[in-house]
Amino acid sequence: MLLVPLMFAITLFAFFLLKALPGDPVLGLVGERADPETMESMRRELGTDKGFVGQYAGYLKLLLKGDLGRSYYTNRDVLADISRKFPNTMLLAFAAMLVTVPLGTGLGFLSAVSAGGRSRFLERLIDTLSISGLSIPVFWSAIIIMMLFSLKLKLLPPSGTGGIRFLVLPAAVLAIPAAATLARVTKTTVLEILRMPYVTTARSKGLSALRVQLVHVLRNAVIPIVTIIGLDFGSYLNGAVVTETIFGWDGIGKFTMEGIIKRDYPVIMGCIITGTLVFVVVNLITDVIYHYLDPRIRLNVKKG
Amino acid sequence: MLALVVQPLSCTSSNRLEGYVYYRLNASPSTLDPALIADVSSAAIAAKLYNGLVRLDDGLGIAPDIARKWSISEDGLRYTFLLRRGVRFTNGREVKASDFKYSFERVLDPSTRSPNTWVFDKVEGAEEFLKGRAGEVRGFKAKGDYVFEITLKRPFSPFLSMLTMPPAYVVPREEVEKLGADFSSRPSGTGPFTLKEWLPDRELLLARRHDYFGGRSRVKGIAYRIIAEDLTAVTEFMLGNLDVIALPATAYARFKNDEKWSRYILSREGLNTYYLGMNSSRPPFDDPELRRAVSYAIDREKILNTFYEGRGRLAEGPVPHLLRRWKTGRPIEYDPERARRMIRKKGLEDLEVDMYVSADREVVDLAEIIQAYLARVGINVNIRQLEWSAYKDAVNKGEPDMFWLSWWADYPDPENFLFPLFHSRNLGPGGNRVRYVNREVDSLIEKGQYAVDEEERDYFYQKAEEIIIEDSPWVFFWHKTDYVITQPWIKGCRVYPVYSMDKGTDIMIDSSAVRR
Repeated sequence: MLLVPLMFAITLFAFFLLKALPGDPVLGLVGERADPETMESMRRELGTDKGFVGQYAGYLKLLLKGDLGRSYYTNRDVLADISRKFPNTMLLAFAAMLVTVPLGTGLGFLSAVSAGGRSRFLERLIDTLSISGLSIPVFWSAIIIMMLFSLKLKLLPPSGTGGIRFLVLPAAVLAIPAAATLARVTKTTVLEILRMPYVTTARSKGLSALRVQLVHVLRNAVIPIVTIIGLDFGSYLNGAVVTETIFGWDGIGKFTMEGIIKRDYPVIMGCIITGTLVFVVVNLITDVIYHYLDPRIRLNVKKG
Repeated sequence: MLALVVQPLSCTSSNRLEGYVYYRLNASPSTLDPALIADVSSAAIAAKLYNGLVRLDDGLGIAPDIARKWSISEDGLRYTFLLRRGVRFTNGREVKASDFKYSFERVLDPSTRSPNTWVFDKVEGAEEFLKGRAGEVRGFKAKGDYVFEITLKRPFSPFLSMLTMPPAYVVPREEVEKLGADFSSRPSGTGPFTLKEWLPDRELLLARRHDYFGGRSRVKGIAYRIIAEDLTAVTEFMLGNLDVIALPATAYARFKNDEKWSRYILSREGLNTYYLGMNSSRPPFDDPELRRAVSYAIDREKILNTFYEGRGRLAEGPVPHLLRRWKTGRPIEYDPERARRMIRKKGLEDLEVDMYVSADREVVDLAEIIQAYLARVGINVNIRQLEWSAYKDAVNKGEPDMFWLSWWADYPDPENFLFPLFHSRNLGPGGNRVRYVNREVDSLIEKGQYAVDEEERDYFYQKAEEIIIEDSPWVFFWHKTDYVITQPWIKGCRVYPVYSMDKGTDIMIDSSAVRR
């Protein structure tokens, strides 16, 4: 398995980066009035007084036992916190994808198809929308959406973690740029396929336009679309920092960010490791889907 | 499209607990073990769960808490506290004098890893105990069940004031020993509330105790919602999902100018000092005259009234007006001509200095204003923005020439704004981040600490402050006013200048005013 050396490399690299970062985790623990002795004894207690090799070895030893350690600040078990927060992040990612996929592919397809038509109004409209969707920064769209749907219309709560009421707004915010990207990718891919000889063949056979588009075009456009979806999904599963923070969604993104701000090494490392695993798994799933969509793509699985 | 997916919901506040008052915290508290607390969020909650011997009253004086009476011996060394009877922990056991001995020794015990050992290090025998050379602290003595005595090594005037802080709260030994590290998240004390539920990073619920010795709270409970983003908190407040919030700077003008809201804004002069620190341990700012020139060069009053929207009071020195029982001799006024002359005389035109600031929008804007003022007198400031942890580290190590910081009171005594900040024993992370060393100031601050008589104490503090103003290791900016906004149905809410003052027993919900 390639996973073990990969995880090793990732932890080593992340650990190195953390140590190279300025800032001392003890500073957040001792408050504004710390004497050097207290700080020294805390460093000893946390093990941050040891050299790089010593600290890394200690961390690996812990990791091999399946332990991610405890947060420096809250003294809570990092693995337990991540297991509690990860489902929230996953829920948000799924919800965002639920909006993104139909919206993005649908708009992209429509735009491509209408590009050949006489009136290019629809194409221009969709292009404008997708460019705007791509360019609007998340923090801005998050604020606008919150102002509109929470404050003005009083439809949905502005923040909190929970059921669908709390999920809709952050998921929508995440879906905007993702759907925009997806629409653009879909459009380019479909336009390319429309020029393919087999599409001309299908048309000349006398198949209806709809049938050509659905069966011959869309099916062939699916692979790049799945790639984009896989990438977006992987990154959402690693937490959407800004969205989670603004909407008070108790997920991995916010957790990672707070860990970084406080230099809470066990939390940061735990999040990086989880994130790596998630990416590996999502990529694996994407590869499997490729294979089913296009049997020419082989899964290179060695036996034994 | 969204509106189609979602059913309109009648009221977003439907999931509120009835009778609970809702507050906002911007960060999850790290611990509720009073011995370990070093952040304001945790301390504010701990105040509602625990009690100490004494507490602060509204006039910032010392009031009885679990101790109903106390006396201090004439030499200022021995403090005798007479305890109330019938004060009970949440597990039902009565608080005895021996509990205070246990709780205080626990703070000093190295295995507790408390960041607050400094609160008790003046107690007789504390040092030996801290270093593991003694099995107990001689200076903590339980005389029977209801008399507790503390003996100090030397007189130390702010001591009683320091006993109002969280590390001096009493904890039940049996629970601490049973729970170990989990005591942090499953606290039990004597306070008006108990911890009902804690969903880390989301919400924390406190429920009222009916047998609280100080008179039970007028709300059923307190809910703290953890909301990192100011704008989100303001939105939640405007929807009525939060009852009380500290008014963020970005929302101040909007509420202040809104007739409907302005009368629900409460304010109080804060016990804090905002300052521009100058590293006094090395050139160029090891020269007091240059530091004074910097102070003359900046029109702090104008910045306060325009950029800062008047949300504070101009500082004359490090000690906030609320704590200063004396008049400051000569505060430094804006005089750019004089600053320019002083700098030219030294041949320091085109001086280049580094100013570090944390990457906070308001602070960065302010830094640019200061930069402009200093450019006019011939000092070129390079602003370096650092992320908070890196910034704090750099400042503690004395890397920047200049930096922007503030200091907030732990206890309301002028000493809290002098000793940690300007005594040469606390260089760097201890509080004296400008690395200011002046033996005369050291000795005056110490004399103030030892003085038993209040007038005498103030005399030393005043002298020390005058020298510090003269030496100007800081440009003293302002004491920021604390603002809080409440819903119309909230009564009895007050703004407290020290986080530990609010026990949560005064606030109430006027059910006749609750809307709809």
